[in-house]
Parts: sequence; C-alpha cells; structure tokens
Amino acid sequence: MNTGLKQKKAGAKMDEFYSSIQRDILKYIDPGIINCYQCGKCTAGCPLSDIFEYKPNQIMMLVQAGRIESIINSNSIFLCLSCEICSSRCPQDVHIAKIMQYIRNEAWKVDKIKVASIKRFYKLFLKEVGITGRSYEPGLIAGLNLISGKLLNDMDIAVKILGKRKINLIPEFVKDRKGISRIVKKYL
Amino acid sequence: MQDTINKNGLNKIAYYPGCSLNSTAIDFNISLKKLLDILDIGYIEIDDWNCCGTTPAQNVSSELVYTLSARNLILAKKMGIQEILCPCVSCYNKLYKAAYYINTASKLKNKKEEQMRDTIIANLKDMGFNVEEELNFKVYSVIEFLYLKKKIIGEKYNEINAGRENLPANRVLLEKLKPVCYYGCALLRPDSALRFDDFEKPTSMEEILEEAGIVCKNFQFKTECCGAILSLTHKNAVLKLSNMILDSALESDANCLVVFCPLCQQNLDLRQDQINKLYKKNYHLPVFYITQLLGIALGLTPRSVMLDRLFVSPEFIKND
Repeated sequence: MNTGLKQKKAGAKMDEFYSSIQRDILKYIDPGIINCYQCGKCTAGCPLSDIFEYKPNQIMMLVQAGRIESIINSNSIFLCLSCEICSSRCPQDVHIAKIMQYIRNEAWKVDKIKVASIKRFYKLFLKEVGITGRSYEPGLIAGLNLISGKLLNDMDIAVKILGKRKINLIPEFVKDRKGISRIVKKYL
Repeated sequence: MQDTINKNGLNKIAYYPGCSLNSTAIDFNISLKKLLDILDIGYIEIDDWNCCGTTPAQNVSSELVYTLSARNLILAKKMGIQEILCPCVSCYNKLYKAAYYINTASKLKNKKEEQMRDTIIANLKDMGFNVEEELNFKVYSVIEFLYLKKKIIGEKYNEINAGRENLPANRVLLEKLKPVCYYGCALLRPDSALRFDDFEKPTSMEEILEEAGIVCKNFQFKTECCGAILSLTHKNAVLKLSNMILDSALESDANCLVVFCPLCQQNLDLRQDQINKLYKKNYHLPVFYITQLLGIALGLTPRSVMLDRLFVSPEFIKND
C-alpha cells in the first residue's frame, strides 16, 4: 500500500473517532447541549477564559457543529480546572464541564495532549502513584523542575515547606500496591 | 447520618485523610482529629488507603480515578464501615462520585454510566477485592459533617464559657479575629456534592463558626476558584486568581481567611509572598483551617492545632 493511501486511511479513522465523540455527547454525556443558545454566561464566569484559545461557549458551538478536532487541538480542555462554575450558572442546564471532561479523556486515549507541561505533570504524578500507591509532593516538584529544566522554580516555596516541617522526606508506601500499579499502567 | 457515631459507641466513621493531609496539610489533619476528639466523635483511619488519583487521574481517565477512589471505599467496608469522612475537597469529590457508581441502589442514567460501573467493579476484582455484597457508601466532606454536628459544637462552646474560661491567649485571638469564609470552587458544584448549601452564596461555614462564637464578615469571592493544581504548571494564572481572592477579603475589612481545602490553603497562604511580589501588594492575611479556629474556640492550645505551621503567622492579629 502506498503511503498516500495509508495516510488517507488513518485520516478516515481519526475522522470516525472525532465524530464518535460528538455522537456520544449528544446521546449520553449531555443531550441537553442542543439547547445552548450562546448567552456566554459560562465564559463570563470561567476563571481561565482569558487564557483559553476557545472559550467555553465557543466549545459548545464547536461540539454542536461537530468540530471536535478543533477543540482537541486547542489548549482549553487541558487547562480547565473543573471548577464547574460554567455548568452551575448555565440557564439551559447544559453540563459544560462534564462535556469538556469527556473530550479530555478521549484525547488522552489517543495521546493528543496540546499542553506539554500538563502532559508531563500528569504522567509523572501517575507514575509515582503507580510505584508507591500515594502521591509524593517533593518527588513531583523535583521531577517537574528536572524535566522542564527550570531547576530553581518555586525554590522559595520548597524552602518554606521544609522550614515548617510540612513534608515527609521519605515517601509513604501502600502495603498492598501491586494491584494499584497494574491498574495505573493499564490507563497510562 | 446515624446519631450513634460517637466515641464510646460501637459505630465509628471511617477516616480517609488523603495524601495532602499527611504532608503540606498536616495542620488540617491534626486539628481535625483533635476537634473530633473534643466532640466525642469516633473515627478510624482506613487501613492501607491509597491516593484517590485526584486531578491527573481524573483528566487522563475517569475509569482510573474512580477505580483508585473506590479501592478506599472497599477497604472501609472491609473494616465494617460504609460512612466515610473525607477532609480534602478533591478526594471528597472523587470518593463521592466513586460511591455513586458502585453503590447497589444507585440509579445510573445511561449505558455509558453502566459501563463505568462495570469497569470499576472489574478493576476492583482485578486488584483482588470481593465486591459481591451490597454496597451502600456515604461520603461526607468536613463542612457537611460539621454542619450536621453544629449543635454539639454549640453545646461544647457553651460548656467552656459557662465553666472555666477559654485560655487567655485563645481569648485574645478570638476577640481580634475578623474572618471571611472562603469555600473554594469544588465543594458545592452540581456534579460534586448533594448541594446541601447554595452554590453561589453558601452560609454553612459561617453558621458552624457562629456556634463557636466566631462572627464572620460578608465576602464576595466565597466560591471563586483559586487556580488549584495549575500552580505546578501555570503558576501565574494561579497567582492572579488568588490575588483577586485576597484583594476581595481586604475589601470586606477582614484580617484573615477561613478555608477547608488543602489546595486553596496552599495557594493563599504558602504563595502569599509570591503574590505580594508579583502584584506589589502587602497582604498579611493568615489562612486558617476551619478546624483550627473551632479547636481554639473550644479550648485547644494554638500549638496543638498547629497554628505555628501556617506560613503567614497569625501572631500579628493578637498584637493588633
């Protein structure tokens, strides 16, 4: 098979993937999304809308229009804090945060994560949980600084935490952690 | 809630501290336990608990986060308890939702939700747990739990004031306090809690504190998000949001904040210096856990509720 044809086939597969996300949202995640009439209350309340490439109300319109790929290729769903103020205030009871959460999970399934720092952070965090069964903040901060090359980032904070003895210098381990490791590996 | 949960009775509540409460929120952990002791509420820590997965696991895969959280519920059941107290708000959200999926009596809404339950159950079996019995978990956040117990808090407070007086150092601190209650974003949103309070203008914290004689100021930014875990990857976004919260507290003429979320506490207290530097401000607002203030009002020493572990020292309030 020539490469052109292969690419076409892969493209068709991705197209089907994106349209299945829209289908699932309309059928299961929140059928009420068809009621969004673009009032913009979600975006007005969103604490991060100023750094979102697409604002929450735009994302709703993109879902309605079937342009899931555009959403996944923007930073919005990965930065979203799930504070859910958008859903709380929606006059049409559209669960915006839940829809964004669903698209985010699907994007992780195909490893399409637009924001590199978030991807690094989550992977490191979950690897740690897979090893010890618990999260370990010193390892996390040191690891993130090492990977990003910003060794002195948040040093002021690290010094403060140590000064107040608010950190364990040795990580805690869950005794029965084999199962946890297996499950974490399954999804990472 | 069974009224039989008390220190001497057979019933105890299962306690799930979560990772933060064993490190950066150790003051929350200790002050909560001491408060439960004074209130005669029996609790027992879940044996061999694990991380709930929190935001990273949730954003990577809902199946993963609810599996990790459900493991803790099943461990509580192994100890014979299905009522769980979960102080960290992030953990609470995850455990609460996990309980929704696996509780036998839950009415799941559609095929996707049923698939979710089946996957969680299969994963739990894969980890070697027996999940055949009837499951009926009830997960409480600290605020909801204390709200249910506020009468006992009031009684204890009156007891202290009727008999011996509170410690002199405590009295001075309590007199000088002008707090605002900051709820943060995660507790009252539609998908998280059972909405025991209003999501825009909650009052449960104020009502609890009032039982212990602490009167709070009105506050505009009660439920605005502080930026949460984004502090590790997009620090400036967090400093901006937290700055607005501190600014609003000053506008309310407050001299401190009261919180119950380890992440909010960290962003507002630990990062207050960073906010001061970035925005050229001069905030000096201690950020207490609600359990610390209640402990002080009920006669515990400042040291025993770990006031000395706060980054912004509350000492100045006393000298004001």
